[in-house]
Amino acid sequence: MSEDIIELIKENVIQGRVNKDDEGIEVGVAGQPGVTELTEAALASGVKVSEIINEGLTASMEVVGQKFENEEYYIPDMLASAEAVGAAMELLKPHLAKSGVKPKGKILIATVKGDLHDIGKNIVSILLRGAGYLVKDLGHDVDTRDIVAAVREEQPDFLGLSALLTSTMVNMEDTIKALKENGLRDKVKIIIGGAPVSPEYAKSIGADGYGADGFHAVAVTEALSSDNSADG
Amino acid sequence: MPYVLEKRLPGPEEIEYKRMIRKGLEGGSYKPLTPEDISKINETVLRTIEEIGCVVNSDTALAALEKAGATVDKEKRRARLSTEKALELISQAPSEVTLCSRDQKNDIHLGGSRVYTGTGGTALYIYEPATGVKRQATLDDLKNIAGLVEELDNIHLFLLPTYPNELPLEQVDVNRFFAGLDNTTKHIMGGVYTTEGIRQVVRMAELVAGSPEALRERPIISIITCVISPFIIDAKYGDMVVAVAESGIPLVCPAEPLCGATSPVTLAGNLVVQTVDSLMGVMLAQAVNPGTPVIFGSVATSTDLRDYKYIAGSVEMGLLNAAGAQMAQFYKLPFYATGGMTDSKTLDAQSGYESAITNLLCALSGANFIHDSAGLMEFAMTACYEKYVIDNEILGMVMRAVEGIRVDDETLAYDLIKEVGPGGNFVTAKHTRRLMRKEHYQPTLSDRNSRENWEERGGKSTWENAAEKVKIILESRASVLPDTVRERVLSQLKGISV
Repeated sequence: MSEDIIELIKENVIQGRVNKDDEGIEVGVAGQPGVTELTEAALASGVKVSEIINEGLTASMEVVGQKFENEEYYIPDMLASAEAVGAAMELLKPHLAKSGVKPKGKILIATVKGDLHDIGKNIVSILLRGAGYLVKDLGHDVDTRDIVAAVREEQPDFLGLSALLTSTMVNMEDTIKALKENGLRDKVKIIIGGAPVSPEYAKSIGADGYGADGFHAVAVTEALSSDNSADG
Repeated sequence: MPYVLEKRLPGPEEIEYKRMIRKGLEGGSYKPLTPEDISKINETVLRTIEEIGCVVNSDTALAALEKAGATVDKEKRRARLSTEKALELISQAPSEVTLCSRDQKNDIHLGGSRVYTGTGGTALYIYEPATGVKRQATLDDLKNIAGLVEELDNIHLFLLPTYPNELPLEQVDVNRFFAGLDNTTKHIMGGVYTTEGIRQVVRMAELVAGSPEALRERPIISIITCVISPFIIDAKYGDMVVAVAESGIPLVCPAEPLCGATSPVTLAGNLVVQTVDSLMGVMLAQAVNPGTPVIFGSVATSTDLRDYKYIAGSVEMGLLNAAGAQMAQFYKLPFYATGGMTDSKTLDAQSGYESAITNLLCALSGANFIHDSAGLMEFAMTACYEKYVIDNEILGMVMRAVEGIRVDDETLAYDLIKEVGPGGNFVTAKHTRRLMRKEHYQPTLSDRNSRENWEERGGKSTWENAAEKVKIILESRASVLPDTVRERVLSQLKGISV
């Protein structure tokens, strides 16, 4: 029973079906339960949360990643799958503590002040959720003071900053300075991204990491998470 | 468990994200001729058939035309047909001809302005881009190219593209058709070199189809003959037209007038000669066997006026064959067009642009079957494995252009636009995912990597990427004939080299 439903969750993540109304990539599957309904059903029938996450959600995202690598999947396919995982994680959130599953980490993400471009940042958010992180999106054109306040309040493990313009990317540096001034810089790992940004720039402004694209951003976050594992 | 599934979703390995294969789509958006132009060409064509006529060097052909009502001058071997008689014979030819594939998946329904593509020939040489060597083509090349075409989705028909130079003439026909039938399930079309060859090839196709009746019911082969421009039905080719028409196998009768050499230098004058000559073939086939499935055809092109070489990649060739499609539509005959070749000696920019422009003009005009559309270069004398892969990509793009732009509520997407609103994006919309693969041609070869990624992957040129695909396809090439059928063919027909 649990194997069956896990298998169905996996298949539906690969199909990118959040709920029963989604079409997926195959013809004729709309109307059948999607990841949301299946996750609810799995919880109701007592399947372990860790099993849902590890064997259902994480394993299927690996398949999706391979399909993307093989040029079989496009970004919208990848995002649909990540959204399905994100939706499942929302449902599982209340059960994490009592099931003894340690959350992967909390991430705040924002497009910095003066910059209205948010497609890239939104993609990164969806993919991070798909990877099992709890992501709070602060939006775009976010004032430096608001970012500092959010870091103080939310105490995230990571802060993601995005900018598309060379004229606004300097606000990433300002944000890091402001965090330092408020004694918050060491409480959070900062990862930056966006078209004009480079690894060299990330280093020069004192960020912890640089994500070249959505998938790279997830990989960098994962790498920094394991660095972090000692202090939890 | 609250959910019971009717059917399981396919597992990861079973899920296929098939690229759309476009074939048989309606063309006709490009019309180089106005209705008045068509009318003037038609009048000149009928006048030519009535007043000038055609020299017929084949006795059987001349007798058949005379019996069908042609005015024949026996001494000069000249046959003329009144407009009334000509139109009567033309109207006997079917407007729709189906060229069948063995698995039924690749059947080709010629007629109207539906567009299909296929290879063409007959090249004597093979160009190998890795070494820069041009060498004589062999039977193995024919087998390999058939194997390539089997896997290249945008090439819908296999027209036997090369000549096996190592074989004696009497073994050529039987070996060429067997190489095709043994390596691809797509329809096989080909020229023949002997009248005896026609008999053998038809017998072979009957064995593969299962019976003579099964072959007539679903013709898996068709045969090309030709009329010699201007206005000559050759002794040998005339006999062949008669033999093929008698066999009931679909027949192609193209003509190949060359501007300034075997036709007037003008495109309109060339169209008159091409139309007359191909119609002579159509009429002869109907005279022999009324209702014979016959395909009106054009190989019309320009010449190099410096030395009168045949030219395979001129824009005029594209114009002539697009106009030919309009004439075929006017006479309600299925059409065999020529496009997609190049005169380049290597796989360079010229090779790409000449192949693309001529294919595109033919396809947009609604030419039913574009022959030569893949693999040929250097005045159609040379075939190249890698060029089949490159042209497969060109043809995919060309067919997408033929498909045009669908405008309806779903594609206009007003509700979605409203939902997304100012400053939003369409990246995560279900609409995007539902239609992205259908609306946008998915390249099979073109490189769309960033410079960094392209360099990381070896910085390869188009032909190098094509060469990799050729290697992968040929590594898994295998006979597509059932063993019993294959053995039956090999035991009943002599001279087949395996």
